[in-house]
Amino acid sequence: MSNSVLWYATRGAGAVTIILLSCVVILGILSALRVQGESWPRFLTTGLHRNLALMTLVFLALHIVTAVVDTYTNLGWAAALIPFSSYYRTFWLGLGAIAFELLLAIVATSLVRAYIGHNMWRLIHWLTYTAWPVAVLHGLGTGTDTWSAWMLAITAACIAGVGAAIVLRLAAASRDPLATHRSAFRTAVERRDSR
Amino acid sequence: MRLLDAHSDLGPLPQVGRGFIDALERSGLAGRGGAGFSTATKWRAVGQRSRGDAVILVNGAEGEPQSKKDRVLMTAQPHLVLDGAFVAARVLRARRIVLYIGERHQAARAALARALERRPEPELRLVTFAAAPARYVAGAEAAAVHLVNEGFATPTTVPPYPFERGVDGAPTLVQNVETLAHVAVLARTGSLPGTMLLTFAGGVDHAGVVEAQVGTTIGDAVAMAGGPSSVPRAVLVGGYFGRWMRREEAWQLPLTPAAVLGCGVIGLLPEGRCPVCDTAEIMSYLAGESSAQCGPCFFGLRALADACTRIAEQGSNPGDLERLHRWAAEVRGRGACKHPDGAGIFLSSALSVFAADFAAHAPHVRWQSA
Repeated sequence: MSNSVLWYATRGAGAVTIILLSCVVILGILSALRVQGESWPRFLTTGLHRNLALMTLVFLALHIVTAVVDTYTNLGWAAALIPFSSYYRTFWLGLGAIAFELLLAIVATSLVRAYIGHNMWRLIHWLTYTAWPVAVLHGLGTGTDTWSAWMLAITAACIAGVGAAIVLRLAAASRDPLATHRSAFRTAVERRDSR
Repeated sequence: MRLLDAHSDLGPLPQVGRGFIDALERSGLAGRGGAGFSTATKWRAVGQRSRGDAVILVNGAEGEPQSKKDRVLMTAQPHLVLDGAFVAARVLRARRIVLYIGERHQAARAALARALERRPEPELRLVTFAAAPARYVAGAEAAAVHLVNEGFATPTTVPPYPFERGVDGAPTLVQNVETLAHVAVLARTGSLPGTMLLTFAGGVDHAGVVEAQVGTTIGDAVAMAGGPSSVPRAVLVGGYFGRWMRREEAWQLPLTPAAVLGCGVIGLLPEGRCPVCDTAEIMSYLAGESSAQCGPCFFGLRALADACTRIAEQGSNPGDLERLHRWAAEVRGRGACKHPDGAGIFLSSALSVFAADFAAHAPHVRWQSA
């Protein structure tokens, strides 16, 4: 009984994680697009993005921990943390481990962004575009519920949502309204000399 | 010993070690660049992290348009500034000293260069010059570090603070030139001069720099500057990042080097000048000095300046004055540096000291139906 509870928890947390992660990715893209409306100020996008990202990690942790402690699967911690080390569905679980570690790096660098510099943070944040598809593939490849109608609907909605956001992002030119002013200020002040 | 009367040859610089930071602490010396931050705390932070690689960034940018005291000091007493920098380099075991001097302060730069030629100390080898662009934000600590590192005098977000990771990534002491001159006197004589440099602007008989005794009042210092040319309506204490005060209040203000005196600019608004127009002009200046990195600063200060100008020109929109009050508070803390904060505090003080003038200036002419 306790084993089946763990197994359901793993599957449920996995489904919730992919929904949350997709929302986080969409919000991240929307914040880059500076989307806002009458009842949707811009800080709401970034605030939600940040908080949902942390919540995603919580469900991801639940997903991983319940899978590992479930004695029926007998995966072990190494399989969860070291990609492609699992005896069971080596490739698909490996994708999950990769996605997990990428997300961990993305969140960790965001928390210490002031210390690593904006460029380094941005570079690592781009890894989201790897982490998210890898996570979706992991779900498609090894999910117990993958081919049930409700899970298919969830996966399709996630792919459609993120896909639409990416298309919007690609279609919109850089809308940073400060870019020209900033470079004008920089050209005006750039000076350096030494004795 | 007063700063501006110090002899140009005070003999060899005394040997100082880490114990000097305790002397600094006891002296209670506060920075004279504007923030009034404890010098000993700053030195301790750099000293703890320095492994012989610290950098001393001598801040002579003086970007505040009304302030003249730093360049007067550098021109008249370059040796005191160098003394202070060398003491800092010894105490904090520095590898490099950068003289960050405003690009327009040619006399100051030349005086420092001449003084350097006569220095026997080994620290001489550590010195390089960097020119600070004539922009308001260029004097901010992080902007100074950014210019030396990358060539852009734009402020960066903190942390990491310069004392953690500054020039070349090393712990860096960014210190105003007047503060360093005080350090020099403390190292040489064992006590502080007990004075502070002020710049008088506006309606005084002798506008310019005055060295006033700590503990006296602004009223006394104005008398030193020849007295007001007419009875001033109000006093701008601390420059554009300071605040307007009623004359009676300002006259009584004791000269203690705290943040309220900022960089030491005392601007007297003569009777008959329109304070709303002056405030609008200064707000426009500050808006134009935003480095366009943070939206709330770049757009917010522009909106504030525009609303001020509309009121000054008697063509305000309905609600402009209320919005000014709200925005002046809201813009604070919304930038990577303190530029929006300084402008917001300045504007809030104007709105309170000149409340009647602002109210009388807002007749909504443009929006009245014919």
